[in-house]
Amino acid sequence: MAQAEIPYQEAMPLHDPHSWVTKYWYSQDHKVIAVQYGITAMAVGLLALVLSWIMRLQIGWPGVFGIEPALYYQSFTMHGMIMVIYLLTAFLLGSFGNYLVPLMLGARDMVFPFVNMISYHVYLLSVIILLAGYFVPGGVTGAGWTLYPPQAILTGTPGADWGIASMLLSLAVFIVAFTMGGLNYVTTILQARTRGMTLMRMPLSIWGIFAATVLGLLAFPALFVSAVMMLLDNFVGTSFFMPAISSALEGGMAGGMIEGTDAYEGGSPLLFQHLFWFFGHPEVYIVALPAFGVVSDLISVHARKNIFGYRLMVWAIVAIGVLSFIVWAHHMYVAGMHPYFGFFFATTTLVIAVPTAIKVYNWTLTLWRANIRFTVPMLFAIAFVITFVVGGLTGLFLGNVIVDVPLSDTYFVVAHFHMVMGVAPILVIFGGIYHWYPKITGRMLNDTLGRLHFWFTFLGTYAIYFPMHYLGFVGVPRRYYDHGTTSAFYPESAQFLDKGISVAAFIVGAAQFLFIANLVVSYFRGKPAGDNPWEATSLEWRTPQTPPVHGNWGDKLPTVHRWAYDFSVPGAEQDFIPQDVPREGADGKPQEKGAVAS
Amino acid sequence: MASAAGHATIIRDWGSDVTTFKGVPWGKAMMWIFLLSDTFIFSCFLTAYMTVRTTTAEPWPNASEVFSLTVLGQSVPLLLIAIMTFDLITSSGTMAMAVNYGYRRDKKKAVRLILATAFFGFVFVSMQAFEWYKLISEGVRPFKNNWGAEQFGACFFMITGFHGLHVSAGVAYLLIIAHRVHKGKYDHTNYEIIEIVGLYWHFVDLVWVFIFAFFYLW
Amino acid sequence: MSSEVGQQHPLSIYFAVWVGLFIVSGLSYATDFLQDGLMRWGLILLFMFVKAGYIVAIFMHLKYERWALIYALLLPPGALLVLVGLMWMESDYTWLTRIEYFGEDPYAVAKPVVH
Ligand code: HEM
Ligand SMILES: [Cu+2]
Repeated sequence: MAQAEIPYQEAMPLHDPHSWVTKYWYSQDHKVIAVQYGITAMAVGLLALVLSWIMRLQIGWPGVFGIEPALYYQSFTMHGMIMVIYLLTAFLLGSFGNYLVPLMLGARDMVFPFVNMISYHVYLLSVIILLAGYFVPGGVTGAGWTLYPPQAILTGTPGADWGIASMLLSLAVFIVAFTMGGLNYVTTILQARTRGMTLMRMPLSIWGIFAATVLGLLAFPALFVSAVMMLLDNFVGTSFFMPAISSALEGGMAGGMIEGTDAYEGGSPLLFQHLFWFFGHPEVYIVALPAFGVVSDLISVHARKNIFGYRLMVWAIVAIGVLSFIVWAHHMYVAGMHPYFGFFFATTTLVIAVPTAIKVYNWTLTLWRANIRFTVPMLFAIAFVITFVVGGLTGLFLGNVIVDVPLSDTYFVVAHFHMVMGVAPILVIFGGIYHWYPKITGRMLNDTLGRLHFWFTFLGTYAIYFPMHYLGFVGVPRRYYDHGTTSAFYPESAQFLDKGISVAAFIVGAAQFLFIANLVVSYFRGKPAGDNPWEATSLEWRTPQTPPVHGNWGDKLPTVHRWAYDFSVPGAEQDFIPQDVPREGADGKPQEKGAVAS
Repeated sequence: MASAAGHATIIRDWGSDVTTFKGVPWGKAMMWIFLLSDTFIFSCFLTAYMTVRTTTAEPWPNASEVFSLTVLGQSVPLLLIAIMTFDLITSSGTMAMAVNYGYRRDKKKAVRLILATAFFGFVFVSMQAFEWYKLISEGVRPFKNNWGAEQFGACFFMITGFHGLHVSAGVAYLLIIAHRVHKGKYDHTNYEIIEIVGLYWHFVDLVWVFIFAFFYLW
Repeated sequence: MSSEVGQQHPLSIYFAVWVGLFIVSGLSYATDFLQDGLMRWGLILLFMFVKAGYIVAIFMHLKYERWALIYALLLPPGALLVLVGLMWMESDYTWLTRIEYFGEDPYAVAKPVVH
């Protein structure tokens, strides 16, 4: 069958751009779309960074900067949501996914480039709707990124009227965008690989992106449904999530808009929490799995060694993906759910630690006695492993009901999730950008600036989040506007740490501008990169042009003969053998092994 | 062919290069995966319905009485819903035949059958509109009704509304495809596009099976 | 492998399934006349799954696809079974706490419907 399908792919009609607009704005080229996703995600990411400064100003020096409680609430809500959805998800899948999937698989483009193009523009629309929240009466929502009802739509919460609407609408639109992109990634990975590219020869980046996209396609529906129901509760007066509430706390917009609505009655707030986390926990892995994949490739390339236990790595990704659907209520230990659930979810949560630990061992064993090149991408990759281990270990604490109960909703949790799903994937994104920028632009990023950026970010994030574990132990609650300034309730050590954390946060944040400057300046002045500056093996480094042109491969698609990890093969001339180099048999002739004919 | 012997093909297919789903065109693979995602959407809606129906301490209105029609002075339970069900099944039948004639390259019959499917879909939506109208005039609102738990109306409007949107979108999709097939846009293919739109259409019918069982009969 | 040339099957299969669906739909409609209870709920579920099975297997041709696709489509919804099962327990628990703490009447019946 490959015989029939490869020519089809080779002849895949591509939409030729005729003008600047079709080339850079309404482009159907996956590489351009990837850059569009990347730039947009980074732009909103910067906003989220500035929002974290607002919070740190208030926490470090309560009241001094005139930050109102509402602003604080709105800031952490927008900060959290933007970071998780509009930056991390959009970047790892929209940008890395789009760029790498066709290139690493040897495809011309995504299977449906037009849908892919629309996907970006719908994502942009969702960002615009999200930011429009700042201009509606009442401003953006301050409900926290988890958006729990009833308070999310009760008077008294900032943005309980229109702000929450913009947030929910924006999420729904984002999900549409994600679905269009995600269907493309999955179909391309399953149905449009090149000759010889079996699933078990795919680079782990692709495995991570693939599993994460599947998780997204199955988990985002729960968020979509809860967004729809909360919009109905707020604007139509239904009571899906809203229990009977004393009249003093009346909420919802419907009362003022629809005749005859009466008080909320009989809804189930826990239903929202379950649906939210049925999405929310897989979401953690939607962010983590692509990071796992990318970091595996970075480590292998820059350590000049094949990834340790490739198959186990793949199966660990799959196992994590499956398990991530049955652990969700570990976020709800203190929510008042069914008493048996704690046991069930603690068990599944601890089981998921097994494949995760396997991955960490394999990264470490890949590094073991390797000929490591401490390039900037490698620094970020190693930093990821360290950070992920720290965050993962605190996760084991929080996964146990009895330990979680006192730690829940304290800064211990803030420290945990920032380490494991905030900082760790961000480090991989940075590493990935340093790694692939030469392919995208044809120029290297400045190495010195890169190292500076790395050390500020890596050490800085530890300065921010390490002390937070201590704050959590002494009981500082999460999402509090004012931690207090008298040592009667709030120990002096904690007050001191709060100030220190804030200073570190400003420095880390400012260091990100070094990175942005590097991206911009290197685009014009960077050292020319050549085709394969890192001496890597995967297909994206084998394009006839750098940067690759529309259609990627000239008239013939490459043929794959080996996995992506042939580094330091004994007896080989070079210390790396690209995937499209034929194998030689004993007779010196190219020999096919492993590729299953169909 | 899905047979016991065919089981051995799983490992071969997943282990092979180029394509995992052998012989499945890109569009069809994408539609299947989309429907899988959509399954999760409808399942979440239905799970939410189950949850609010169970948690509410108010009694749940009796659907069989609510959705009865009076014919010749006799109250027949769920009459309209039964007709809608048969209508949708009929449309699924015409759809399946359209796919079949498409693969036989009998374009004319295929187009006619797609149009028939769209027609039955349109009839379905119209009956649903009538049903909404009737319920609204009896005082059912998303936030209250005269018989019991208010979540009854909320779930009714949300679930049938979302399904109705799917049907309406399906009708539009069918009409577009019928037009394009008629124009000869797919003459160089196997007309697998008809199978793809067919998958979507059958899925809408499939969802109705679950709504019928859980919302109307339960 | 039939799917390679598209899904071509004799029309008679479709007619048979079509008629089958009509009959099963009629039967499931008939359950409405039974008393509430395990019998009725069991039959509702049975007929529901039979109909769904027919539609997916024959009309959507899943039966004629290769196992690689069949498994890829039928395994993921397993996650939904977990969700449904747990939410069933959870909602029962919520209901019990409401009865217990708010003193609501567990035996209340809906008001009769007058059109
Ligand atoms: C310089 C980097 C960052 C700083 C200084 C920072 C700071 C903060 C602060 C102060 C809070 C509020 C804590 C509270 O009052 O409870 C917060 C919440 C949060 N942050 Fe970050 N953050 C940073 C990066 C990130 C990243 C990369 C992510 C990506 C996952 C992230 C995700 C979140 C989430 C999900 C919340 C919870 C929001 C909520 O409670 O609703 N943050 N962050
Ligand atoms: Cu979780």
